[in-house]
This record gives sequence, structure tokens and C-alpha cells, in this order.
Amino acid sequence: MKHPFQNIEATSTHLFATVKNSLQVFSLNDGILVGEWLDTVDSQQNLVKQHQAKFEQLQKQEDIKSSSEEPETKRAESNSKTKIPKFPTPGPGAPPIYNYIRCLELTSDEKYLIGTTDSDKSIIIFELDFNSANCLKLVKRQVFPKRPCSISVADNNTTAVVGDKFGDVYKIPIDCEPPIDEKLLKPILGHVSMLTDVLVGENEGRQYILTSDRDEHIKVSHYPQTFVVKHWLFGHDEFISSMIFPSFDKTLLVTGGGDDSIYLWDWIHNKALASFNLRSLVEAYLNESHYPPERFRTETSVKEICVVKIVSSGRKIFVLLENVTCVLYFTINEDLTFSIDKVLDVPHPLVDLTISENQLIGASDSENILTFINIDPFEVVHNEISSKIAVLNPCDVSSRDDFYPLYAMNNLRKRSEH
Amino acid sequence: MAEPDTKAQKEQQLEADSKRKTYRERKEVIRKNAKELDLPRKRYYRQRAHSNPFSDHRLDYPKYPESMDWGKFYPAYHDKETNQMTQDVEIADIGCGYGGLLLGLTKEFPDKLLLGMEIRVQVSQYVEDRIIALREKHKKQKVNYQNIAVIRGNAMKFLPNFFKKGQLSKMFFCFPDPHFKQRKHKARIITNTLLSEYAYALREGGIIYTITDVEDLHKWMVEHLEDHPLFERLDKEWEAQDKCVEIMYNATEEGQKVARNKGSKWVACYKRLPTPTI
Repeated sequence: MKHPFQNIEATSTHLFATVKNSLQVFSLNDGILVGEWLDTVDSQQNLVKQHQAKFEQLQKQEDIKSSSEEPETKRAESNSKTKIPKFPTPGPGAPPIYNYIRCLELTSDEKYLIGTTDSDKSIIIFELDFNSANCLKLVKRQVFPKRPCSISVADNNTTAVVGDKFGDVYKIPIDCEPPIDEKLLKPILGHVSMLTDVLVGENEGRQYILTSDRDEHIKVSHYPQTFVVKHWLFGHDEFISSMIFPSFDKTLLVTGGGDDSIYLWDWIHNKALASFNLRSLVEAYLNESHYPPERFRTETSVKEICVVKIVSSGRKIFVLLENVTCVLYFTINEDLTFSIDKVLDVPHPLVDLTISENQLIGASDSENILTFINIDPFEVVHNEISSKIAVLNPCDVSSRDDFYPLYAMNNLRKRSEH
Repeated sequence: MAEPDTKAQKEQQLEADSKRKTYRERKEVIRKNAKELDLPRKRYYRQRAHSNPFSDHRLDYPKYPESMDWGKFYPAYHDKETNQMTQDVEIADIGCGYGGLLLGLTKEFPDKLLLGMEIRVQVSQYVEDRIIALREKHKKQKVNYQNIAVIRGNAMKFLPNFFKKGQLSKMFFCFPDPHFKQRKHKARIITNTLLSEYAYALREGGIIYTITDVEDLHKWMVEHLEDHPLFERLDKEWEAQDKCVEIMYNATEEGQKVARNKGSKWVACYKRLPTPTI
């Protein structure tokens, strides 16, 4: 069987899809593979590098010691027998390290595609050239001190703004120059919490960075003067997972996460304009997997809702929740409230959702690999390229047990006992 | 805490543990009734010196600053009729420890509200009990300790939940956890990225006070504050005439401990510059 795509992104003509450590580009016209890239860096590489550095440092110390002409006392002797450090191997209880491409972001001019790799904690920048046999040309691989997990683009598509799992945000030029030594990178802003999304917004010629985290915070900072915090958007009760500017008005912001509601904000004037509670809409779609993990479950535990992705087209907002077989379709009304238009059943849960002109494309957790949804009228449609693309998916597995975790967003929920 | 190795030690340990526990449980009841004349005894509130600022402690924090119920902490400054505070907290002691600085400052700023924030549960409870006892004891006196309070919280994560933009005029960072290891440096309380959040809570002209007995940490704090466009160092002359510096130098428990051990103390104070027009 095929491993579902974990991340998809689309232009009007092409689909970018990742599965484990591979990235593929398909033409949406005919389902032909026009580009691919495989991350060949071993996830142990960082460890090996660190280990080597440590070893070299010890060697150097040793050299200094042996070159000094001090008479060897007993103590110096025992010191000079420096232990060769052991190569760290994870213990039996250590969480598994997955090597996958965590997120994808296209520049608005569609000239560059930016992704993140878990293997060496880097971002990868591809120049897109559809005249070439492989449209993906890797122009930069920038390693970060901590695992990057969110990307946005600033300065007219010349700067990538990257948020990491440790809460820091960095900026990196989008060009072909060699990468900067990761030790010299300095964060431009940060949270003391895992970042979940980063967005670059613009208003009246000024740029801003919006960052969301696991601790219910959405911070709005000026850019490039990131040392000036504009304000926080308070309202969420749980982690935030997805933020989007609706395409008809970029002074608005729609956010969702681990709480039952999605929110609409005037992010420039720090106003919560509207919220919409999703629970009654999706209650019927929730299953056993939505309960908290066993060890946190009590008799009063309720099934947990988690927004995975929000996609917009004009006033239309599409919301994907974790591990459910539906897509929610909302409209932002003239009076800046939400109204629900339709809860659309899809045949299988979707792992990710993206938009390509007048259709939505979902990464389906099934043999079909992709689900196509027409926007007007809002319905699932058959598209024969889905079966073509399924064949081209390079990741064959023998059973679901070999899948990477597909529904891990809910793990961001805080469950502290003390 | 070291593992007790003999049976007798183990028993002793258990006994001490339960003694502490019963003492604290009794205090818990008293705390709820908010009446106590005895000052709490520190030895029943021992806790290890470190707390991981990244972990998800079970913390109480308001959803946003306006939703904070300050009346609970400063009943004398709470107008019951309007359910409003008569004034806002203006001075924050981040990582207040056993509360020595708060007690030192309360007389100096009788007309301002001071708040201590401490992440360690038992330490913050000690300060709370201490304030309850002092308030009760000094009820009819001029210095009645009504303007100081303590909150258990993680200031590195949730400072913006408590304070509005420009609400604070002074922030104290006294003897913070040095986090010596390089990979722990992000856990330090003064970092470039956190300074932007402190600058948000501080008004223009507001002051950040730092003091430490670890020279490396002092250098680190100075380096990061120097680097930040919204802060400017105050010189030695200013330090010499500032009352808070003197109190910070002498009043904190940690400061006194360093003095007893004849250690050095390093001070650095920075002024919040006006936000440039963008």
C-alpha cells in the first residue's frame, strides 16, 4: 500500500506533495511527475557531527597537553588519558525520530518553494523551473540550531521567515548564496514556547510578523523592527495551529487550534471580531481516537477537536480538522461574522488541505491518495489524475503500522499534572 | 535531594517530609481564611533551586490582562462598589524568591503596587504566607504590607497575560538562575527575544534592574541588554544615588547569602528608551 502524502501545496497548475523524506511535483493537467527530490541526509548526521566536534576538541586539548613541557605528575598522567566519548544512542524509551519534510511554502510569485527537513534541522529552498526536466533545483540548504517548523515569506519574496520548535524566529535571504553557519544565526524574535505558525502581514506599507504558539499566544511584532512588539491577540483557550489572512482582506486573520472555536480578528487594531464554535457541526464525525490518550483519560473526558489547516478563497474559509471525514465551509459575512455554509463529507480523513484556483485538494488517508473538491458547487469530484499520482507516490509500505504519525497535532495539547 | 542510604536516614527523611507536609497543609487552611499572626518558617518550604521554565506547569494565569482579578491580591486597593482596582501594579520582581526585595521596597513605594512572581510552588507559598502574616500583624500601622503580593507563575511565558502595554515602571531580576550549560542558555531570564516582551510591558523611561553573583551571567545580561535597541545602560553615578539599587543589593535573601559568603555582586540597570517611530 501507499503511504499518504503528509504535506501538499499547490499553484493553479502544479501540485507539490511530500511523503516521508521525498518531495514530488505533479502537473495538475495530466498528473505527470515534473520534479522530485529526495532528502538523502541521514537523521543521525547531526549527532555524528557533534560527536566529531567533541572528539576533535579533546584531541586538541591532548595535543596542547603533550606539547607543554611540564614534568608529568601522577595527576597529569591520569588526566591525559582522556576518555573517548561514546556515540550517543537513544535509550529504549526515547521517542522515535522521523525524517520527513515538515512543511512547504511557496513564494507568492511562485518562483521558489521552501520546505523544512527534520533530518538536519534545515530549510531547503528550491528554484522552480518548469522548462527543466526536474523542476526542483535546490539552491540553498540552511541548517538551524533547532528544528524549523513554520515558514513565511517577507520583503517581496526575498526573505524567508522561519519559526522553530524552540520558539525562535529567524530570517534567511532567499537566494543562491552559501548558507550561514548555524552558530552565527541570531533569532529576530521569540517565544518561550513551541511555535506553531508564522505569518508575515502587511498594512499601509509596513510589515509585521505574526507568531502563534502552544501557549494560546498570537504575537504581532513589527518587521524588520522585530524588537517592537505591537500586541498580543488574546482569546484562544488552547494551542493555535493554523493562521491565515483571508484573501479578500489581509487586515483580517482567521485562526484555529485545539479549542472548539475558530476566531476572526482585526489583527492590526487588536480586536476579536467573531468566533464560531465547531463542536456541534463535527460531533458526529468524532471517533474513539479523539479522546485524550489513555493515561490522561477520566470519566468526564470529552472528545477533542483540533484544527489542522485553514484555507481561504475570497470570503470563503475552509477548515480541516484532525482525523475526521469532513471539510467545513464558512463564509465571512459583510458584518464580519462567520456563517457555516456546508459540512462536506469526504470518503476518507484528509491529512492536509490546499487550494488550487477553484478547487480544493486534500491529501487523503486512503489508497486514493488525493481527494478533489470543487468549490462552487462545493462537492467532492472525481479526477482521474489521482490514480496516476498514486502510482507515482514513491513510498510503499506493507501496512498502516509503517506510517509516520499522520494525526499528531493534538499532541500539542498541554496535559500537565503539577 | 540526595538518596538517603541507610534505613534510619530514610525514616528521618520520611518523618521530615510528613512534618513539612502537615505544616503546609495547616498553612493552606490558614491561607484560605487569610488570618495568621505567626510568620511562616522557611524550613518548611524548602524546594530545589531550579524549575524548568519550558515545562507545562499547572499554572493559573489570566486569559488577558484586563481579565485578571487583582482584588484578590490587593484587597485594600480594590473598590468593592465598582469592582475595579484603584490602581494598577507598577513594579514587578521577576523570580522574587523568598520575597526579601518586596519587603524592602514596600516602605520605599507606599503608594505603588508591587508584585512578585515566582515559579516554584512552595517558595511562592512561603511569600504568600509571609505577606498574610505581616498584613495581619501590622494592620494598624503605617507600613501595612497591603501594596505587595505574590503570584506563582512563569513570567517567561505569561508576562503579557498579566501586564498591559507600558504598565510597569520597574522590573527586577535579582539573582536569576544562571543556567551555566550552553544549551540551557535559552532558559535564562534575560535574552534578546524576551527583552522585547519586557520592553512591551515597561513604559518609556521604565527601568530594568539586574543583579547577580555570577560574573558570566552578568556579562551575558549586559551583552544582551546592550544589544537591544530599546534599552540604555544607566551609569554608576545613577546606581549610587538610586534607592532601589541599594535595597536590591542588601535586602534580598540571596544577596545576604552572597554577602555572608563574601562573594561579589554585579549590578546593571537599564532604562527603557522611547519606541522609535516606525
